[in-house]
Amino acid sequence: MSRQRTDAMKRALMRSNTRLLLTAVMLFQFAAMALIAFQSGTVNRQALILAVALPTVTALTAGIMGRIWPVDRAILIMVLFLCSLGIVTLSDIARSDVTPRTQAIYALAGIFAMFVGAAFIRRFTGWQKYYRALMVLCVMALLSPYLPVVGIVKHGARNWVGFKSLSVQPSEFMKPVMILCLAAGFANRPRFVQCIPTLAFAAVCCAVLLVQRDLGAVLLYFLTTVLMYYAATSNAFITLSGLGMGAGAAVVAYRLIPLVQTRVALWKNPWSDPTDKGLQLVQALIAIGSGGLFGMGLGLGRPRSIPLYYSDFIFAAITEEFGLIFAIGVLTVYVLIIMRGLIVAFNARTSFHSLSSLGLVVILGLQTMLIVGGNTKLIPLTGVTLPLVCYGGSSLVSTFFSMGVLLGISSMNAEDEARDIERIEMREEI
Amino acid sequence: MKELRRNMRLIGALVVVMFIALAGWFAMTVYTQGAIWASDAHNTRLAASNTLRGDITDRHGNLLATTASDGSRQYTQNEQARRALSQTVGDIAGMSGVGVETFHSSELMDISTSLLDRLSELFHGADHMGSSIQITVDGRLQAAIAGRFPAGYKGAVCVMNYRTGEILAMVSKPDYDPYDIMSRSDAQVEDTAFLNRCLQGLYTPGSVFKIVTLASAVTADPNVITQPFTCAGVWEYQGGRVVCAGGNAHGDVDLKTAFKKSCNVIFGKLAYQLGLERLRATAEAFGFNENFKFGDFVVYNSSFPKDVGGMSELVWAGIGQGQVLVTPLHMAMIAGTIANRGVMMKPMLIGKVVNSLGVNTAVGQSAVYRQVLSEAVAGKIAEYMYETVQSGTATRARVQGYAVCGKTGSAEVSDDKTVETNAWFTGFIYDDAHPYAIAVVIEGGGAGARMPSQLASEALEWTIKYVG
Repeated sequence: MSRQRTDAMKRALMRSNTRLLLTAVMLFQFAAMALIAFQSGTVNRQALILAVALPTVTALTAGIMGRIWPVDRAILIMVLFLCSLGIVTLSDIARSDVTPRTQAIYALAGIFAMFVGAAFIRRFTGWQKYYRALMVLCVMALLSPYLPVVGIVKHGARNWVGFKSLSVQPSEFMKPVMILCLAAGFANRPRFVQCIPTLAFAAVCCAVLLVQRDLGAVLLYFLTTVLMYYAATSNAFITLSGLGMGAGAAVVAYRLIPLVQTRVALWKNPWSDPTDKGLQLVQALIAIGSGGLFGMGLGLGRPRSIPLYYSDFIFAAITEEFGLIFAIGVLTVYVLIIMRGLIVAFNARTSFHSLSSLGLVVILGLQTMLIVGGNTKLIPLTGVTLPLVCYGGSSLVSTFFSMGVLLGISSMNAEDEARDIERIEMREEI
Repeated sequence: MKELRRNMRLIGALVVVMFIALAGWFAMTVYTQGAIWASDAHNTRLAASNTLRGDITDRHGNLLATTASDGSRQYTQNEQARRALSQTVGDIAGMSGVGVETFHSSELMDISTSLLDRLSELFHGADHMGSSIQITVDGRLQAAIAGRFPAGYKGAVCVMNYRTGEILAMVSKPDYDPYDIMSRSDAQVEDTAFLNRCLQGLYTPGSVFKIVTLASAVTADPNVITQPFTCAGVWEYQGGRVVCAGGNAHGDVDLKTAFKKSCNVIFGKLAYQLGLERLRATAEAFGFNENFKFGDFVVYNSSFPKDVGGMSELVWAGIGQGQVLVTPLHMAMIAGTIANRGVMMKPMLIGKVVNSLGVNTAVGQSAVYRQVLSEAVAGKIAEYMYETVQSGTATRARVQGYAVCGKTGSAEVSDDKTVETNAWFTGFIYDDAHPYAIAVVIEGGGAGARMPSQLASEALEWTIKYVG
């Protein structure tokens, strides 16, 4: 009896009315894919299948996950929306049908990873015992591209491992793991001395990534660590000196690494070399400008003239196709996910869960800002992915896993709250 | 936990604020610069799109550029006229970066059309028609001036209406044939032909800058005009010397004579007497060191030294040498300011923009740029410039029946005397019914400025004939 009541209550607690949101997302998915399917003389069969598959998978995922655990459905649906936006954009602009198909398969793997993430965090009660082992695992994974045979160098960064056609990027997969390690290390308001091993772990991670020339990831890991440290300890002095050290390291990196100098120079004036080095950014800006307020229209843009239109510059491609207003809308969706995520962090019952949610939200936000700022010439370009949207399996699956962890924490919050209410009621009955 | 929540609130707020700032920046840059980005010559969408570019016509409605029924871009039929207008009109390859074809391609292609228009075009399956642009230039006038430009020389002629700011001609030599570029055989294009020297040519002004020095002196002290000056042909001062053309001594003269004879010694002394601060203030009032953003076109910024190392540089700046640089368009604006009672008009090139439905979407409005000088000072300088044409160095610039005022200049472009000086003329017709200002520069045109004065006289005569 009591058990049933708790279940009913926790459902009621988390069931903010998301039906309208879900319907809107499904309509978008269907309409966009149908448009792509019929836009040329011959029917694009794959797009037609996706026009049905995307809304179906979205509805099923939202329904099933919502049934199993009382998760925050708004976050879940917005995550699925961003993922489908990636598939829609790729279906429209990619040169071959293989790219969107692969991305759709990655998305399925990602949804699975999201369930795993939620289940994992709900069961992961022994974090105090295991997090040090997890740290070692994390560093080892980051070092794995140096292994013979499986290590791969792509775009000047040695940060991939794989066999033949299947390759993954450990720095992507380690993002949620590292945040869980940091949250565990910083939990329960530690003194500075107690934080040293955790900070050393973060420093080692950054150093490894720096050597691999994965500069975007270094920046992300570093800023997230600093912000989580501040949240956990309120130690403004250490935080500011950490930021100062980071700024110093950035200056040193600028002096020593030619790649950084090139990026900064191109950011300052991409038009100085519009056909070679500045090509990416110039073409991205041209694409954004061509889109205007309402975009060229799905299927009517030509974002393929931007190199890496499917990954680093997918935001520019989206702006060209859908327009400025839609692009701002996409940013708004990220902000909404972040704000809902912050609520999850506020409501969490332990500092470990609070810090984990905060870290996941912060890294999502920073990553989005880095790449969108890079696409729009606000900051120098760093090669990070647009979370959930841009093409690439590692990033997609890893971000889904992160969101799964966040959703898992939100479900635990809901259950705790339901239990509280029940306790109060029982006391009143007595 | 309480503290943690407080910190999280802070960090959360920080992230959200950063996002809002990012979105704001993004929206703002796209709104202000999007059309410029889109109209960049490297935008492959422009060439490949099914948009039909609108026409470009001159002030009388004569076609300068149009899109033929087969979609190809056509320019003026007469080759000489086509070349004369090349940098002004531009080309679809975007070789001349400041031409109307490039700088105004977002209007010509109507990239900023509203969603509704696009939808209706989509449903009607029609080609997207761009807007047409009428520019203030007179095609015949520009072709005529280009035809009389001394053969084999490089340089520029800029004619504008000083009452309205309309640019009437922008000749830049050498020029090119846009059809050569379109056929991809750029072998015939002369070096630097893509430059529009009126807008992109930064020249040492030499003696034409004496207008500014004079304006500064008369503004600072109206009695300077009665002050006696002495020129011994050479002025030796601490750290350098200034020589008059040919070493001629002008003797004991007043400022008017010094101006019309273009005396370097006296103007050097005048600059020294004024001091850097006052001279620079006047130059900056005229638009030197200013980031020009006129909207209709791009023009390079003129410069006057912010700081001088010693007396020598100040003296040389006073006679327009050293670090002083100016574009022909800006020089015409300066002359026009004198004629227009000290009021500088904002230069304009776009007469109107008419969209495919025949609606005027933009109409050029003449606007005051700035009151640079008082009417009295401007009148005094105009009088001196009139004398210069009547009985000074610029007698060749006379136009029968009209009051032409002007100033010549020979700008040294190297320290030794091996390179021929750039020859300048700048002036205007002092008549509200024919308010035309002109600047002519001929690279390596030689001292005495005979060629530019002669050309200016003819150009002004044609302007009266063609423009009215």
